[in-house]
Amino acid sequence: MRPRQAAGSDQSKKKGRGRTDWRSIPKMSFLLPKLTSKKEVDQAIKSTAEKVLVLRFGRDEDPVCLQLDDILSKTSSDLSKMAAIYLVDVDQTPVYTHYFDISYIPSTVFFFNGQHMKVDYGSPDHTKFVGSFKTKQDFIDLVEVIYRGAMRGKLIVQSPIDPKNIPKYDLLYQDI
Amino acid sequence: MAKDRLHVRLPRAGPMAPAERCGLCRQTFFCGRGHVYSRKHQRQLKVALERLLPQVEAARKAVRAAQVERYVPEHERCCWCLCCSCEVRKHLSHGNLTVLHGGLLEHLASPEHKKATNRFWWENKAELQMKEKFLISPQDYARFKKSMVKGLDSYEEKEDEVIKEMAAQIREVEQSRQEVVRSVLEVGFSRRSQSTSGSARPRRGLFGTWKLERDKQKLKKLPPDRVGANFDHSSSTGAGWLPSFGRVWNNGRRWQSRHQFKTEAAARNKQSHKEKRLMIS
Repeated sequence: MRPRQAAGSDQSKKKGRGRTDWRSIPKMSFLLPKLTSKKEVDQAIKSTAEKVLVLRFGRDEDPVCLQLDDILSKTSSDLSKMAAIYLVDVDQTPVYTHYFDISYIPSTVFFFNGQHMKVDYGSPDHTKFVGSFKTKQDFIDLVEVIYRGAMRGKLIVQSPIDPKNIPKYDLLYQDI
Repeated sequence: MAKDRLHVRLPRAGPMAPAERCGLCRQTFFCGRGHVYSRKHQRQLKVALERLLPQVEAARKAVRAAQVERYVPEHERCCWCLCCSCEVRKHLSHGNLTVLHGGLLEHLASPEHKKATNRFWWENKAELQMKEKFLISPQDYARFKKSMVKGLDSYEEKEDEVIKEMAAQIREVEQSRQEVVRSVLEVGFSRRSQSTSGSARPRRGLFGTWKLERDKQKLKKLPPDRVGANFDHSSSTGAGWLPSFGRVWNNGRRWQSRHQFKTEAAARNKQSHKEKRLMIS
């Protein structure tokens, strides 16, 4: 499936009043880096320093993943000082798919300085975010809360997202 | 009997009337309070009220638009309430903030002041219409309290803005200072390389070191108790490495999740080998 076009080609309407209004210049949504092996995921976890590491586990062509990836790429430049975002292919990283108990896609896992950050969304699983975010702001707020919590030494934080916007799912019982 | 302008005879007044001192006239009278009708008294009264009125009016303006300012000792000033014969603090201060006219308003709205004002008007025979001007109704006082809260909030916001601006300025100055240092370093190095030709390190070297130093400084500024502060980002890890992860079905500390996973993985491998052998046989 072709990657989404970067937003901006049909939105370049600058306010023609002499001075450039920087806010009106459309933000580019960057193509997010993809990780396709355990080694690459390990590298991302180890090398991301003092920023929230966002790992989206899923498949590029899955519709919900597409929705989520859109939000992730559109917010990545705004969040560049606080977060590094990667897309991970579940089919090519089975070790992590099992280790992180990925049952649904997309599943988004957060790290900070190599440590897993848990979030209480009001859903049964605090170890990952399942599904897509409703709005870009929801994701931005979440990253901010995780970043602030991590700076204060917290390994688990409270989600700022309205529970109505959190996708509902059943926690699959894993046969141990 | 010709009415003496200065001494109006009242039924109560008489030679045996007690001596009373009139604060306004600053005189002692022996004829009761008859003198209040006198021109002198009324004039004194008018002047005194005229002195007090602007203060009350200023306070009344604050009912709708309370002003909050940073505290200065000037805010300790008092004014004299004519009706209650007492000093009243004009402003309301707490901590390092002052709500202008808060003190006076509080006093003017008090029931004691109302009583005293009524008494004062009756005793001194002041103009009835004027009395209202020196009173603050409970409704007005409630309005003032609301406007005070708003004023305090907007003051806080302004302070925050000022602090942010100051921070931005400091950042700008710091930035320009770093630029200067950088340019000096670069110039300094190129001069050095000219004088010692042949033994020059790559130009990036000195600038790179300076950048490293700056990054180290930034790192020191981060909170030391942040998550993963002592995480070794440069460690080389093998294929079997797993990050610290609090698993869903894990009952215990995080390091146990790695162990648990490895046990699970081993069990799964064993199972799949068994199945493969069964399939083949």
